[in-house]
Amino acid sequence: MRNYFKPGRLLLLICTFPFLLSGCWDRIEINDMAIIVATGIDLTDEGEVELSVQIVNPQGLGSSGSGGGQLGGSGSVGTMVSLEKATGKTIYDARSKLQEKVPRSLFLGHNRVILIGERLAKQGIKQHVDFFARHPFPRIKAYVFVTKDKPIELLQVNPDLERSTAEAARELADQKFGLDVTLKDLLQMLADDTRGAALPYLLVDKEIPGKVGLKVNGSAIFSDGKLIGELDDERNRGLFWLINKVDQASVTIEPEAAAGYISFSIINAKTKMKPTINNGKWKMTIDIQADDDIVENNTYLDVMSPAILKKLEGQLEETIRHQIYDTLEVIQKDFKTDVLGFDEAFHSHYPKEWATVKDNWTDTFSEVDVEVNTKISISRPGRSTTPQGVPKDKVIE
Amino acid sequence: MIEKGRISALQMATLLYPTIIATAILLVPAITGEYAKKDMWLSPIWASLAGLFVIFLAVKLEQRFPEQTIIQYSGTITGKLIGKLIGVLIVLYYFHATGIILLEYGNFVIGSFLPRTPLLIVIGSMVLVCGLAVRGGIEVMARTAQVLVPFVILFFTLIMILLTPELNLDNLFPVMEYGLKPSLKGAIIPASWFLQLFIIAFILPVLKKGEKIGKAGILTVITVMITLVITNLVTLLLFGVITTSFTYPVMEAARFISVADFLQHLESVVMAIWVAGTFIKVSLFYYVVVIGTAQVLHISDFRPIVLPIGLFLTVLSFWTSSSLQELEQILITSFPFYDFFVLIIIPMLLLVIAKVRKKGATKNRRNKGKVKK
Amino acid sequence: MKIRRPKPLVSKVKLKETLNPNQQEKENNEVHADNTVNANSSNKRKENGDIVSSDLSKNEEKIRSIYKNCSDVIYRTFYIGNKTKALLIYIEGLSNEQEIEESVLSPLMNERNMGTEIQSLMTKTVSAPNIKEVSTYIDCVNELSVGKTVIFVSQNSSAFSVSLTKWEKRAIEQPESESVVRGPREGFIEDITVNTSLLRRRIRSPKLKMVRYLVGKYSETSVVIAYVDGLASEDLIEEVKRRVKRIDIDGILDSGTVEEFIEDHPYSPFPQTLATERPDVVTANLLEGRVAILVEGSPFSLIAPITFYSLLQASEDYYGRFLIGTALRWLRYIFLVISLLLPSLYVAVLTFHQEMIPTSLVISIIGSREQVPFPAIVEVLIMEITFEALREAGLRLPKQVGSAVSIVGALVIGDAAVSAGIVSPPMVIVVAITGVASFTIPRYSAAIALRMLRFPIVILAGILGLLGVMLGIILIIVHLASLRSFGVPYLSPMAPMQANEMKDVLIRAPLWKLNKRPHFTGDYNEYRQAPNQKPNPSKGGDG
Repeated sequence: MRNYFKPGRLLLLICTFPFLLSGCWDRIEINDMAIIVATGIDLTDEGEVELSVQIVNPQGLGSSGSGGGQLGGSGSVGTMVSLEKATGKTIYDARSKLQEKVPRSLFLGHNRVILIGERLAKQGIKQHVDFFARHPFPRIKAYVFVTKDKPIELLQVNPDLERSTAEAARELADQKFGLDVTLKDLLQMLADDTRGAALPYLLVDKEIPGKVGLKVNGSAIFSDGKLIGELDDERNRGLFWLINKVDQASVTIEPEAAAGYISFSIINAKTKMKPTINNGKWKMTIDIQADDDIVENNTYLDVMSPAILKKLEGQLEETIRHQIYDTLEVIQKDFKTDVLGFDEAFHSHYPKEWATVKDNWTDTFSEVDVEVNTKISISRPGRSTTPQGVPKDKVIE
Repeated sequence: MIEKGRISALQMATLLYPTIIATAILLVPAITGEYAKKDMWLSPIWASLAGLFVIFLAVKLEQRFPEQTIIQYSGTITGKLIGKLIGVLIVLYYFHATGIILLEYGNFVIGSFLPRTPLLIVIGSMVLVCGLAVRGGIEVMARTAQVLVPFVILFFTLIMILLTPELNLDNLFPVMEYGLKPSLKGAIIPASWFLQLFIIAFILPVLKKGEKIGKAGILTVITVMITLVITNLVTLLLFGVITTSFTYPVMEAARFISVADFLQHLESVVMAIWVAGTFIKVSLFYYVVVIGTAQVLHISDFRPIVLPIGLFLTVLSFWTSSSLQELEQILITSFPFYDFFVLIIIPMLLLVIAKVRKKGATKNRRNKGKVKK
Repeated sequence: MKIRRPKPLVSKVKLKETLNPNQQEKENNEVHADNTVNANSSNKRKENGDIVSSDLSKNEEKIRSIYKNCSDVIYRTFYIGNKTKALLIYIEGLSNEQEIEESVLSPLMNERNMGTEIQSLMTKTVSAPNIKEVSTYIDCVNELSVGKTVIFVSQNSSAFSVSLTKWEKRAIEQPESESVVRGPREGFIEDITVNTSLLRRRIRSPKLKMVRYLVGKYSETSVVIAYVDGLASEDLIEEVKRRVKRIDIDGILDSGTVEEFIEDHPYSPFPQTLATERPDVVTANLLEGRVAILVEGSPFSLIAPITFYSLLQASEDYYGRFLIGTALRWLRYIFLVISLLLPSLYVAVLTFHQEMIPTSLVISIIGSREQVPFPAIVEVLIMEITFEALREAGLRLPKQVGSAVSIVGALVIGDAAVSAGIVSPPMVIVVAITGVASFTIPRYSAAIALRMLRFPIVILAGILGLLGVMLGIILIIVHLASLRSFGVPYLSPMAPMQANEMKDVLIRAPLWKLNKRPHFTGDYNEYRQAPNQKPNPSKGGDG
């Protein structure tokens, strides 16, 4: 039992190492890899999948920003990344064709952003997400966006603060002003046949002339894997409230008592869903609780006065409620798609009743009576008490 | 006795734990989810009863025939010819089971991490390493397990803790929507993993005297059960309905870990740690195959046959099935019955016959055991 | 549990026994199981075992023939009290010539009343502290060879050996290989009597036993086995004695020679005895029931049995505060893993699991590796081998040159290699951290074993990625698990688990909690101190 390190055997073992090394089946040097940081998928006119990828360009790293060393191809987006594009019947098919053009081995392990073109989205995304969950390398935590323009146009954007579109898009999602949907979330939403899906829109921002940037704005609503509509930015906020995703948000109101606006920053927001079924009437009670801080006060109102605060709170609640009802209206009546998770709420509270409506949940969903209760408290006035830049005697108390 | 080393009950438990967990943790969540849906976390609890039962069987038989393995006492109980037949059957079963484990291991590693590496290299390197451990005997295996298992448990806990922010409790409800039935159905497949605990019948003879066998056995069953419940629960809470659509839900979960954007994609680390568990599982099965073969063929020293058997096991693993899909089909459809027959029916029959024919020591095992020796 | 002996050695000895019984016997005869004045083994060694004759010239002739061509043996003929002829023999440089003159020669030569017997005369007049009678030539030679002075007196059939030894030796200095910030600064030296005295000064109890053997056909080196009676188990002591006795070799130059002959697993890269130059370490181990082997001519004494963890414990752990000791111990464990695995992890992650590296880091690594022509594994091997070469070069050279080598190596080669584009900067960092990590292991022999083992693991990592690394780790653990040091499993108390002793492994428990000695094999003396000694102001001064 103590003889396995017999020198002869050990020597034999060591001798086999070089043979094994010559194999090196999966070994790939990091500088023989083309690291993909973002992929975009869209549909061509012929109905094929168009795959565009953003690849880290090592030539553009280290040395000072020389524009040279592009990998060629259709895109030319600055120094850090290069762009490639190919079409194919499936994503992997397109990838293989892409590989024909790229001298380094394509690597999806660092792909953290997936952009879906609107055209493909309208046709249905169900069949295309499979690749990302089956191939060993793609990240399941990649963020998914829908784009109005062709994804390649967004990938061409050279954002100012980040190295690439990929990085910018990821950071934007992390900011949580828009939805942040990962591939896993999307898979989950698609797997549930009573559930719709909501994905954030990533848009090209051209507000400053001569410069292009990116922005997340609004959400795309999917039913059965197909894009059916869009929630604008305002309704998107309402959606955030409904699905308990409010993390960083601001609300601005125009107080009744005085001219001007007051902006609030929401710090603690919680949404609770309470489903009830009474005499066959399906009802959802949504309780929203939030703490706000005042961050800007353009009015002459004294925000230290409890009476005014009370009023402001009421108005805030009203604003948010209005926003939510507005969103609900669109989702329930126009889209008839449950992106809110009502299905699960009813499923867990009323399994029996749920079983009866399961197959045509869309109909029931649009009929669910929703009651929204908001409870907002303004907890802090911020750094100032009375309005700044206003003479004392003009302050309304 | 062929094996001269002696281990303690705690060491036995540390050997058994990864033996059950290693492959179960990969495949059980998806398989139980298939049948039990949202009640999949309940299934391991029912399944663990099977584990308790086989341990009971093994211990009862061991009490009648101290210091003998099932290969040896099956001859005493049923007579030479049938005994030999049973012995050969059991050894062949373990041959087959080891082959399947190796294939599961190889397929997992290649499918998820090393797509271009030949299966032969992946399985062969594992068999070689296990072979060295088996040559060292049960003591060396037990000690290796005692070093590795704490790390396996530590990493497992760490991963589960790191995943907590991603979990969604809503995925859990409603509990027992369709009653107990789905969770019981889902328990059938994991039960075949718990049945593997019958391997204890080969370890009991090499246990030190006066160890608390029952306690260690129950401890093993409970820790395995808790681990599986936690695994199922976490994958369910993380993935909800899509749990079953992944081949290896736990690995997908590991892909999801992200700590401060720096520690991410830990699945390779998880794989490496998991390999440590698999190593113990394979070595224990390998060891049983070797000991069983040596006893059937009446070879006095098991060491010379370790490497030849390893070679054979490597080849056998290629024969067991041609693809992962086929393998999983075998595991779901025929293997539970196979397991049930070899690991429950045969020992039960042996025990009953032994009782009827009054073979072996009965109550005062110590005295009679000595006489028998 | 009985201590296991390595089988091959046993059978070899048996073989020898059957082939040449005489030689076997002789081998046993070389052993002097005795550390006191009285040599009761005087009937040994046949060829030189003749009894001292009463004829002085015959004696002289005999000794001169034994010490033929030995210019360092000094013969001095003189007359006791101007009457009885006597011969005084000593070896130059081993004996204190001034003392010989003062306390032997002049009192004997000036002796006036010669009536009494020569034995009582010796006791009366010679003022050396240790004098004994020897009756065979072989004993005379033995006495001479250790520096004693032998006096033959005519008409007397025995010789007198006077212990007036003195030779040049190094002063006791701070041990170079194991220095401490806090703790005793004495280190063993090459002289075994000094070394044993250092131990005796630390353990005054007569329970401290030191058994001396002479090993080496020509060198006749003293090997002392030290243990504390009642703490070390009988089996262990017997086993150590048996293994030391079995050594049959020309000469012993260092304790390393002894170590190689008494190991359990000669093919293992890991040390199975602990070599230390610190008497306090030896003392601590003796008190824990271990056995120490001191070898003449070597400042390193061996301690057995040891476990893997004792190689990671520094003596200073026990002299500082226990919380700090615990933290340092963990630091060492972490760096142990780093020194073994970092290069292979670098290779595995960089060439197999690129998705694990954070995206921004992977981009900068690509940038830095763009110029490097070698694959990562070759890069690692080049740098690690260079590092080992530098370390070895710096070690063997004189101190002043050695530091120059390390400066040249670290600064010039590292920097130049990066700017020449032969290696990438991250690689240099990896090598540097690995190097520093391996120096945190307190025992050189353990550190070097781990340093060498990282090469096969790097190659495994190059073949199978993290899977290869893991298989490498498992192989090492399997090997460690199969090791025993004098019957004690190498990985204990972790495997097999002895929960009670883990508190000296996972943490450095406060001394007032370490009430029990570690348990190796067989019966043992369990408690080392009284329980409940946790200091507490409320216990007051009157308790």
